[in-house]
Amino acid sequence: MAKTYDAIVVGSGMTGGWAAKELTEHGLDTLVLEAGRMITPEADYVEHVPPWEKKFRGERDRKKQLVDQPIQKECYACDEWSSKFFVNDRENPYTTAEGTSFLWLRGRQVGGRSIMWGRQVYRWSDLDFEANSHDGYGVDWPIRYADIAPWYDHVEEFIGISGEALGLPQLPDGKFLPPMELNCAERMVRDGLKQHFGGERVLTIGRCAVLTADHNGRKACHYCGACERGCITLSYFNSINATLPAARATGKMTLRPYSVAHSLIYDKKKNRVTGVRVIDAVTKHALEFNARIVFLCASTLESARLLLNSPTPDFPNGLANSSGQVGKNLMDHIMGGGASGRIDAPADRTTFGRRPNGIYVPRFRNVKDKHPDFLRGFGFQGGGGRGGWGRGIDDAGFGPEFKNSLREPGPWTFGFYGFGECLPRPENYVEIDPDTKDAWGIPALKIHCSYGDNEWALMKDASYTAAEMLDAVGAHDIDAYVERNAPGKAIHEMGTCRMGRDPKTSVLNAHNQAWDIPNLFITDGSCMASSGCQNPSITYMALTARAANYAVDQMKQRAL
Amino acid sequence: MQRREALRALGGAAALPLISRDLFALGRQVHAAAGATRRVLDAHQDATVTAMADLIIPATDTPGAKDANVTAFIDVMLADWYDPEDRDRFLAGLADVDRRHQALFGKDLVDGTAAQQASVVAALDDEVTRLRDADQPYGKHPFHMLKRLTVIGYYTSEVGAEKETKYTIIPGRYGPCEPVAGPGGH
Repeated sequence: MAKTYDAIVVGSGMTGGWAAKELTEHGLDTLVLEAGRMITPEADYVEHVPPWEKKFRGERDRKKQLVDQPIQKECYACDEWSSKFFVNDRENPYTTAEGTSFLWLRGRQVGGRSIMWGRQVYRWSDLDFEANSHDGYGVDWPIRYADIAPWYDHVEEFIGISGEALGLPQLPDGKFLPPMELNCAERMVRDGLKQHFGGERVLTIGRCAVLTADHNGRKACHYCGACERGCITLSYFNSINATLPAARATGKMTLRPYSVAHSLIYDKKKNRVTGVRVIDAVTKHALEFNARIVFLCASTLESARLLLNSPTPDFPNGLANSSGQVGKNLMDHIMGGGASGRIDAPADRTTFGRRPNGIYVPRFRNVKDKHPDFLRGFGFQGGGGRGGWGRGIDDAGFGPEFKNSLREPGPWTFGFYGFGECLPRPENYVEIDPDTKDAWGIPALKIHCSYGDNEWALMKDASYTAAEMLDAVGAHDIDAYVERNAPGKAIHEMGTCRMGRDPKTSVLNAHNQAWDIPNLFITDGSCMASSGCQNPSITYMALTARAANYAVDQMKQRAL
Repeated sequence: MQRREALRALGGAAALPLISRDLFALGRQVHAAAGATRRVLDAHQDATVTAMADLIIPATDTPGAKDANVTAFIDVMLADWYDPEDRDRFLAGLADVDRRHQALFGKDLVDGTAAQQASVVAALDDEVTRLRDADQPYGKHPFHMLKRLTVIGYYTSEVGAEKETKYTIIPGRYGPCEPVAGPGGH
């Protein structure tokens, strides 16, 4: 008889690391299944490899990417250093509905996408948790801010967040380390906004999971600038740097890389999942692992795919899918409405070091007033800076004068870049494409997703208000734009196994527990009932920690 | 600051000796390859590219494009990065440079004086500038390709980064508003 673990966690990234940490710290014998390879910081982190040691000097291995990563290359971080942290698209196919496109940007390795994530961390407020109940899109969240607030605290205290407290109701403050500093251009814009918009539109330094002081055995940031390549001083949060070591320290974690989850094993008599079927990524042999509870932390699309690939006679449309909601209501954040311009910051001043963080303007639309053109809102990221030598590519001239001109920093510029909330709509969904299989023979997803009028209206207003703010603070040469990005590009995909109050219309209850199968928990982005406009990882992590502690309590009470 | 010192200065992380060893092993491989023969450029094309790159970014109080071995990088890009039609357009552009130089001075560019070479480079640079100012596509103009590769090749080279831009791999701090003449840039 094969061993039965107390818990299996599928996935080792942003949420898998948290599930592993919380479950093992409560004494559960936990198996973490990871589809990809092991990552060893000493060998795999490359943030200090300078460009002259790269064959294409940062211009990427263009021809190889056209073959192996035609989708992944759309991510800014999939560069000559970090492309190894993104999947091979030929091994990991998916299809999209005719006339639509979706960028599924993915990392399959221990640490998952937490290695290359953008590190921005913003709490949700009740403005977000109540949104569905107010306008009728999606279903009401079964929780409110008060339910998750202690878990935000718990997660933030462990991972270390730098940021500035603002006291805004729509963007609750967290447990912050000292904020990073705004540069001279950003201070000018901040002060100008305060003057012209009062407290309505506020600019603050990004709240980010990068340490500004030594924290829990990890060192403060040294401003080398390319976190997505790894960090040998463990200064930004990813699961390899923080949660997985904590889980390992308990002696209760078994981490199995190269384990591609194929489907879940279901015992009809007990109405429980009893384990996970796995394809060994190297040998391609089918294996089975058993546990008392299962946590899916495989990512929004992978967790939905796993359920849809696990039909049984009782769940012909996919396991835990009596509601029919598995795979439905796919969301991302629409991004790319914004504006940029030149700023009259001091010409004799510049920055030193490469701050891995920008600015943030919290949502200001539909907070107190009601906008006539759209529901919900958007926030801005962005920042200010001076150009470097790269402008020489397009500057006229040559010779000593040209060279000397590039020695001076370029003009100060500043940009606002909007991230907008996506409505949960059933017509954005995924299904299994029986004709397409991945390199391990597992049926792939077909994705149906496009933005609607509300999302485009948000970006139009983001562009308008960004230009308005730049104009108000005296910027020149203002360029306002709306990018036509495909869904998926923000890499904030979520919503395919939503939480709710009613088992008929949602997949998960208030504790991320499957309504249909009580020992199955899903805590990655798939659980989201709406999308907010904030970067979502901190909410996924807080929900994971909360669900893991609930599961442990239930096991102690013999309810599981 | 040298890389090894910079890495040491970080301190604390037990893993540093390992990673710095890897870093330096990689560096040696790349530098060993730099002296190898060209894969695309023949000797004449090599000399033409080197002369033009050094006119674009000459040695001044700091090293120039030639010192940074920019031609080796350009050869790699021509061999493994560009599609064949773009590579061929670039090479045809080099032949065109000689035709222009011949027409003006009766000899190939590599045989011209610095002033003669500069007059041809100036004409080509103006041509690209006119396209850019007229919002015409200029990315595939062979001289733009050369200039782009020269700029990237120089500023991402070890000498360009250390001598010209004072690039620090590990800044150690963030200065949000420093005097321009301060301790280095990016």
